Amino acid sequence: MLRGNMCHRFVLVLLSIVLLSCATVAKETVEWWQFWTDPGIKPTIEAMIAEFEAANPDIDINVTDLTWADGQEKIVIAFSAGTAPDMLEVGSDWIAQFAANGYLADLSAQIAPDSGKFKGWGLATYDGKVYGKPWILGTRVLFGNRDLLKRAGIDSTFVPLSLSALQGAALMVQKLGNGVFGWGSNTAEKHRLYKKFLPIFWSFGAQLFTDDNRYCIISSEKGIAALNYYKRLNDTCGYVADQRGIEDAFLDGKIGFIISGDWLLKRIDLEHRKINLMTTLIPGPKYPGRSFLGGEMLVVNEKTKNREAAIKFIDFITSPANQVRFCKANRSANPSSVEAQADPYFSGNPHLVTFIKQINSSVCPPVDPDWPLMEDAIEKAVEDALFGRRLVATALRDAQVKIAALRNHAKP
Amino acid sequence: MRSRRLTPFLCGLPWLLTFVVFWAFPLLYSFVIGFTDYRLLQRGYEWVGWGNYAALFNDPDFLSALKNTFIFVVGTIPATTIISLALALMVNRQFRGRGLFRAGFFVPSITSMVVVGLVFTHLYSRGGYVAMLAAMVGFTPPVNGFLYESGTALAAIMAMDVWMAVGYYMLIFLAGLKSIPEELYEAAEINGASPLRQFFSITLPLLRPVTLFIVVINSIKSFQVFTEIFVMTRGKFDTSSAVYFVYEKGLTTSYDFGYASAAAYLLFVIIGLLSLAQFGLFKQRKELSW
Repeated sequence: MLRGNMCHRFVLVLLSIVLLSCATVAKETVEWWQFWTDPGIKPTIEAMIAEFEAANPDIDINVTDLTWADGQEKIVIAFSAGTAPDMLEVGSDWIAQFAANGYLADLSAQIAPDSGKFKGWGLATYDGKVYGKPWILGTRVLFGNRDLLKRAGIDSTFVPLSLSALQGAALMVQKLGNGVFGWGSNTAEKHRLYKKFLPIFWSFGAQLFTDDNRYCIISSEKGIAALNYYKRLNDTCGYVADQRGIEDAFLDGKIGFIISGDWLLKRIDLEHRKINLMTTLIPGPKYPGRSFLGGEMLVVNEKTKNREAAIKFIDFITSPANQVRFCKANRSANPSSVEAQADPYFSGNPHLVTFIKQINSSVCPPVDPDWPLMEDAIEKAVEDALFGRRLVATALRDAQVKIAALRNHAKP
Repeated sequence: MRSRRLTPFLCGLPWLLTFVVFWAFPLLYSFVIGFTDYRLLQRGYEWVGWGNYAALFNDPDFLSALKNTFIFVVGTIPATTIISLALALMVNRQFRGRGLFRAGFFVPSITSMVVVGLVFTHLYSRGGYVAMLAAMVGFTPPVNGFLYESGTALAAIMAMDVWMAVGYYMLIFLAGLKSIPEELYEAAEINGASPLRQFFSITLPLLRPVTLFIVVINSIKSFQVFTEIFVMTRGKFDTSSAVYFVYEKGLTTSYDFGYASAAAYLLFVIIGLLSLAQFGLFKQRKELSW
């Protein structure tokens, strides 16, 4: 009898072990590479993952942190070597390169129901297919230092509603002298300048490509007018530096106007800067003008075996509530969710409202595998014109030739 | 007996494996892909023969980078060599605080290039100390700072590079000076040779192997200039170098490994040829004539 009991117990324990191990095997682990490593935001990311895992006990999320300095290289190498994770956060201008080479899963069918609920789909759409879900967007607005404007004799309620008003005000600030400049002009860095020039370019009504997207028309009359305007601003009142240098000078009260992103609001907050700030939409011949739209996309590896679990997590982390939570923790201003954009957190802060409004009048750069090279050509043209190495029209024509060659996949 | 023969081989195996996997194979592999249109993200590639090399000679960005590299080499090597020799001669003499000077000159060369690059970026900036100094001695500094002006950016980086390198080469010259027999100077003095004559007839000829070593090593290093450009200007304002070009083509934007490999091998050939030329130029004469 005793022997029979023992035998039953043994079988029971064995069965439990087998069942437990089966349960472990059935659990899916989604590997996720992401860039948010700031101590201000990382705990929120971890908390969201813990909540997701608690609600979905069959899914584990394993996070790997990347840095902007070398994250793209790591992703490119991982895709090439076939060791990329199930799910990744990528910059919007990388999508086309990865999608064109077949590394990203086509998510069109799965995320179609969300199309009206999120902004920024254009950034994730390549060749008619949607390869990612917009998470946190990025745009640029015009920042002004009201104290400097006041010193220059400009009314305290002044907002530059046109490009000529902006230029006039910048010139008045410039006249203050003593190391004060009217306008912050970017240089010495890649991926920055074009985000400052294109808003002016688009605001002038210029286009990079024809409507059918076949021909580059960057050196159109409007394009030349835009670069002439940008050069005038630079020549007459430009403080030339890299992004950090421009922002330092702006926060130190040395520059009247700069174009920047929401990270500057975060910096002002974190560093307790006392600055009488003005933020407004990029001006244009018609107010508002256009700005640049980019952002962080969540994509799924084409080869993943955990596709459904990854999409489930993407839906969770991009939910309106989680986007608001993320933006509050990160002090950022650009959720992709329309519902999140309407949250009182944003509407209660005039500067955040500017960003939300600007998203709605922003333009996505072309989603093209060769966009990074086209971007280089544009930045080179702008710098050549700004620093007098070429005439405006010649610089833009050279860029046009280079971009056209890239469209034909020829070496420059 | 057999195990005795195997032992040295087994002892050398870790190094051999490391050499083959991390040196020989990548070297050969990059040479081969220099003849293809291989891009990191691209699936598959095609053989393009000498196409990449031909494209390089028609690529204005590469030609400009190569030109900048030559300017960098030609500008920094004589300055570095002459200044480091002068410093070595100075600290070779007996005076109070000699050790302090030796250490002081040497410290920049053991400091991280990234740190030095960042510090000099500030020094060269608009309203920075260098601009202030230039204004004090009557020069008008560039409006946007030395690094944001095509005419001054490369020269500013070269000056920093010389400042950083002289301490290291001073030490090598110092070792060379110590190896010159004191009797030669005594004999010269007895024969009435002036210090200048002693320098040109004893010091300089006997330092020839050291000078050759310094010039060759410094040339190779200068041809590979990258970090300072990456940190200070990102290749803008006519400062792009050949290695920076390779980095830009191979490890950013298009990840064009084939093209970047071809550029790297072209640079390898140029460095090799110039090193051979330098060996020829400094060929040691067998006898000393003075």
